[in-house]
Amino acid sequence: MNPADQHLREVTRRHFFERCGVGVGSLALHELLARDVHAAFKPQLDPTRPMHPRTPPLPAKAKRVIYLFMAGGPSQLELFDDKPKLRELDSQPPPPSLLAGRRFAFLKGTEKLVGSRRKFDRYGQCGMTISEMFPNHRAIADDVCWLRGVSTDVFNHGPAKLFMNTGFQAPGRPAFGAWATYGLGSESDSLPGFVVLQSGPRGPRAGAALWSSGFLPTSFQGVPFRGKGDAILHLRSPDGTTREGERDFYDTVGTLNRARLAATGDPEILTRLNAYEMAYRMQTSAPELMELNQESAETLALYDVKPGESSFAANCLLARRLIERGVRFVQLYHTNWDSHGGPGENLNADFEKVCREVDRPAAALVLDLKRRGLLEDTLVVWGGEFGRTPMGENRTTLGRDHHIDAFTMWIAGAGVKPGFIHGETDELGFGVTAGKVHVHDLHATLLHLLGFDHEQLIHRFQGRDFRLTDVHGKIVREILA
Amino acid sequence: MSPVLARLNSFSAGLLLSCATLRGADTVEFNRDIRPLLSDRCFYCHGPDEKKREAKLRLDTRDGATADLGGYAAIVPASPEKSELLARVTSHDRDEVMPPPKAKKSRFTAEEVATLRRWIAEGARYEAHWAFLPLRDFNSGDSIDAFIGARLASDGLALSPEADRATLIRRVSLDLTGLLSTPEETAAFIRDHSPDAYEKLVARLLASPHYGERWGRHWLDQARYADSNGYSIDAERAMWPYRDWVIKALNDDMPFDRFTIEQLAGDQLPTPTKAQLVATGFHRNTLINQEGGTDAEQFRVEAAIDRVNTTGAVWLGLTVGCAQCHTHKFDPITQREFYELFAFFNQGEDKNNTGPTVQVVRGEMFGQPVKVAPATPAADVAKLQAAWEAKESAKLEKTAKLDPQTPREKFAELKGAQALLAALRVLPVERTAEEKKAVLAAFEKAEPKARKKTDPNVAAAMIMRDLKTPRPTYLLTRGDFTRPDKERGELQPGIIAALETRNPKPDTRTRLDLARWLVSPENPLTPRVTLNRMWMRYFGRGLVETEEDFGTQGTAPTHPELLDWLAREFIRSGWSMKAMHRLIVTSATYRQSSNARPDAAAKDPRNLLLARQERLRVEAEIVRDAALSASGLLDRRIGGPSVHPPQPEGVYAFTQNAKKWATDTGPDRYRRALYTMFYRSAPHPLFGTFDAPDFQTTCTRRIRSNTPLQALTLANDPAFLEIAQALAARVVRDIPRDDLDARVRRAFQLALCREPDADELAALTDYARRHDLAAVARVLFNTDNFITRE
Repeated sequence: MNPADQHLREVTRRHFFERCGVGVGSLALHELLARDVHAAFKPQLDPTRPMHPRTPPLPAKAKRVIYLFMAGGPSQLELFDDKPKLRELDSQPPPPSLLAGRRFAFLKGTEKLVGSRRKFDRYGQCGMTISEMFPNHRAIADDVCWLRGVSTDVFNHGPAKLFMNTGFQAPGRPAFGAWATYGLGSESDSLPGFVVLQSGPRGPRAGAALWSSGFLPTSFQGVPFRGKGDAILHLRSPDGTTREGERDFYDTVGTLNRARLAATGDPEILTRLNAYEMAYRMQTSAPELMELNQESAETLALYDVKPGESSFAANCLLARRLIERGVRFVQLYHTNWDSHGGPGENLNADFEKVCREVDRPAAALVLDLKRRGLLEDTLVVWGGEFGRTPMGENRTTLGRDHHIDAFTMWIAGAGVKPGFIHGETDELGFGVTAGKVHVHDLHATLLHLLGFDHEQLIHRFQGRDFRLTDVHGKIVREILA
Repeated sequence: MSPVLARLNSFSAGLLLSCATLRGADTVEFNRDIRPLLSDRCFYCHGPDEKKREAKLRLDTRDGATADLGGYAAIVPASPEKSELLARVTSHDRDEVMPPPKAKKSRFTAEEVATLRRWIAEGARYEAHWAFLPLRDFNSGDSIDAFIGARLASDGLALSPEADRATLIRRVSLDLTGLLSTPEETAAFIRDHSPDAYEKLVARLLASPHYGERWGRHWLDQARYADSNGYSIDAERAMWPYRDWVIKALNDDMPFDRFTIEQLAGDQLPTPTKAQLVATGFHRNTLINQEGGTDAEQFRVEAAIDRVNTTGAVWLGLTVGCAQCHTHKFDPITQREFYELFAFFNQGEDKNNTGPTVQVVRGEMFGQPVKVAPATPAADVAKLQAAWEAKESAKLEKTAKLDPQTPREKFAELKGAQALLAALRVLPVERTAEEKKAVLAAFEKAEPKARKKTDPNVAAAMIMRDLKTPRPTYLLTRGDFTRPDKERGELQPGIIAALETRNPKPDTRTRLDLARWLVSPENPLTPRVTLNRMWMRYFGRGLVETEEDFGTQGTAPTHPELLDWLAREFIRSGWSMKAMHRLIVTSATYRQSSNARPDAAAKDPRNLLLARQERLRVEAEIVRDAALSASGLLDRRIGGPSVHPPQPEGVYAFTQNAKKWATDTGPDRYRRALYTMFYRSAPHPLFGTFDAPDFQTTCTRRIRSNTPLQALTLANDPAFLEIAQALAARVVRDIPRDDLDARVRRAFQLALCREPDADELAALTDYARRHDLAAVARVLFNTDNFITRE
């Protein structure tokens, strides 16, 4: 780099800190640099490349995350948490002692206990109970770490999803993926660092707030790849243009921008020149990414992908392709797990359908990452915003209400114990009796695996330091490998 | 003397000598030098919050800091060597050092310790936080340029020269109206050699109705205005009458005190006008949760809390929200005081999805209501429908050929006339939603009169109104609406004690009292906060950079005297916003060039002292408005229901409920972007791409990102390509002769409001030869220059 460029880069760096409100806030730069290891971690951002990869402050096991978000709240009682006692007490009122102090979204207090109609067995060395609804999960029983005692604070879908993603139940905070890319950048210079994929009959409640960058710079917000048309909004050049013609377009824009840079000396123009070059590269890299027929027939069959059809299975395969290309955080949303009973949401055929959509591809993703050596430094997370109640609902068909006190999630890959079952619930599944993992604890643990002290990855906004775990969160040491 | 002190005194004696000279001869000022040090690292455990207070020591007051701790004190004025504070901050013992390692705060540096030591040596004088002190008085000769110039001079700097005229007219047009100056306006301004040419230009722009749109949008950000309810269902709402009220109030230059009172408490004024009721929509812009199974009380409380937080942020620049769960860690706001503020907003009649409204027709807020055919009263509609249903089913029973024995469960499979007949056979109360919809659609088609009640030009605007019987207010433990602290007793409305300078306290019982207090001469925060934000829009940064936080954790003002002078001028002008705009944009500080100043960059790399103007990327809305105004497509009508310009497909793939988006094909297609229908859960993608927030909560400052997605939008969004085509067509109309140079030059003038230099013209003309004029327009829209106010 010649000295003039070096100077410009320095100017730009200072400029970026200021213009984008990243990091410094009321602190002077020297103060920031002088902070010791106990101090807050505020990433050093390269202005022209805010997604430039960064080393986390602590040793990291995981380099990237694929988060399979099961929107609606899957029933742990039909999938992973077998409760013979619940079957025994089927149709009886729940013991009042277990209801005291609990709040539910729809239950009125007259509902009866419902035992699961599904058959369970134990699988793998770890002996995890998995129901007949998830037959493909048997093959990964010893690859994943099972969390049977997850709890959250919020029981409506929108706020609960926000809580699971941002650590706060109202919109406006950065999503986990935004914190991760803020801290780590991304290893791709031709795809966004935080990508959102979606499948199922409808979108997740709370929408874009779930992958928002909140008060962090918008460079870190999740980019939703679209189900219809091009994967990235406005990726395709206008009709009738050629690649050469478009190169001419980008070059001419570049010529004018460089002239303006010379005239004004504003380093922001340098950032824009880089943004335009990245946009040009994305036009090639994104369509290539979506070419699923590049995959072998065996792989397509493993995931149960039918090329050309958008599905959770296709998204799982895309997730692997995204992280192979350096993307830091991929989040998949799949609906609809909201099994209240009633039309489209019963625990019978409707539940079987969503299980079929998810079971095989989710397991295939773990197996595929493992055989490619990617599971060693990739985290895969599976779970919803809450679980479902031991009581049924008074509806025409079988269903359960939202349950926040005890539900199951799983994590696989980098730095977590494979084939390990953490947490237990009481004999009816109302509460956690051992190994409780609160949402904030989950966040603290995942950040730890990515190389961050969750109390130190902070951003100052409106006069206070914010972090993903608010003022809570404890690393779940028991599950670390 | 404590044991820690005894050991440390010998060690630190040398340090004192070497560091005390760092700050030269100035005396140490508490607010400037000491408060930021203590606030950042001590107040969390030794501050206002009693519950978090460690060792019964508080350092935010002099009494607390000098209190006897059992033979010694944290601070002994004039005796640094006897002050435990210094011993602790310099200790190397993990158990003794402050802040303790578990707090994970950085150690005090040697320079900081020296500053603390000097301050204690000089008597450890405390000052009230600057923002809570009364406004200072000033001399007659003061002006923006005098304050800025004096500060620059102290660093051997001076203002940059005035920007060239073309840059200046584009700058001030974008800043005051959000639209581009035309080539003719630009040329006329360049030719106008009269001494008041610029002042005339400013007067013209301030008189433009587009001024209210431009500055209305800034205000609507703070009002978290949007066209939908938020949360997951996020159904449409009609709050555009409130938006129109804001535009009209700004265009009329309604004094800011009245502007405040009408929005916070217009309903409590004696015999309020309809406009004053609509103004109270400010606090009805809160979210509504229509999800099944929600507790309406929970979301009523959420909305009331948001009203407290928004009021605190917008008028006081304070993060009062911190005190929702606990007494504020840094600022003098107790949890009890938060709920006393909450009590003002806890009386609202509205409860999540129910509440008072007032009917407004399009244009009414501007004094020009459109004519709307009188709505058919609901009772008459019901009668009409019953009669039509009887007639229609009699007819269909003859013609539709539907077996009278068809079972109910087969109804869903029927189509056309048979489906309608099946629905009509069901009693109205027993019809499914689909059946109701089918019947209503057929009825409205047959009886257009009945449809009048849903005329889009009529809105039921949500307004504030209090309950007749007050609702008791309690402190909510940890902010949880299910845990009112009834033992502590009922709370009455009240304002934060630290902000109250009058004695005895004014009577504050209602929102109207609160609003009047906010704009009373005794409250220095409202004018400071308001003028600071106005300054921020013009220079990219407030004089107080943390414009949302005037508390102790915020940044200190770069020019405290200027901020107070502006605040005083604001009050002196009768709270005239237009007067303040005029004052700022006619200053030499505003008019100077924004080009880089290598000579000043070393001394002031962040341009805090303003030795130049700033280049600022325009907001999302203005990106579109600028393109529309350059192309001539812009439809300049003001106000009315929100519109649906072209939007890419698939925006609702990620929302729970798909929204209707019937793209406008008439003039509404080219309205300014502030009129674009705004769904909180899935805004038009242009907004998110260019950093508009989603208006879930108040937004006092937008960020400015610079991303590849912005590049892709400007390069490939069909909406921008359509505008580029129109710009090309306009150029051909303006220059009928086949002169490529002249046409490219014209396109350049329309988009960038200046003349191209030779290289720019050559690059574009060559490009035009290889492509066409629309392609040139596309290039121009993609330049940094186009989306930047220079």
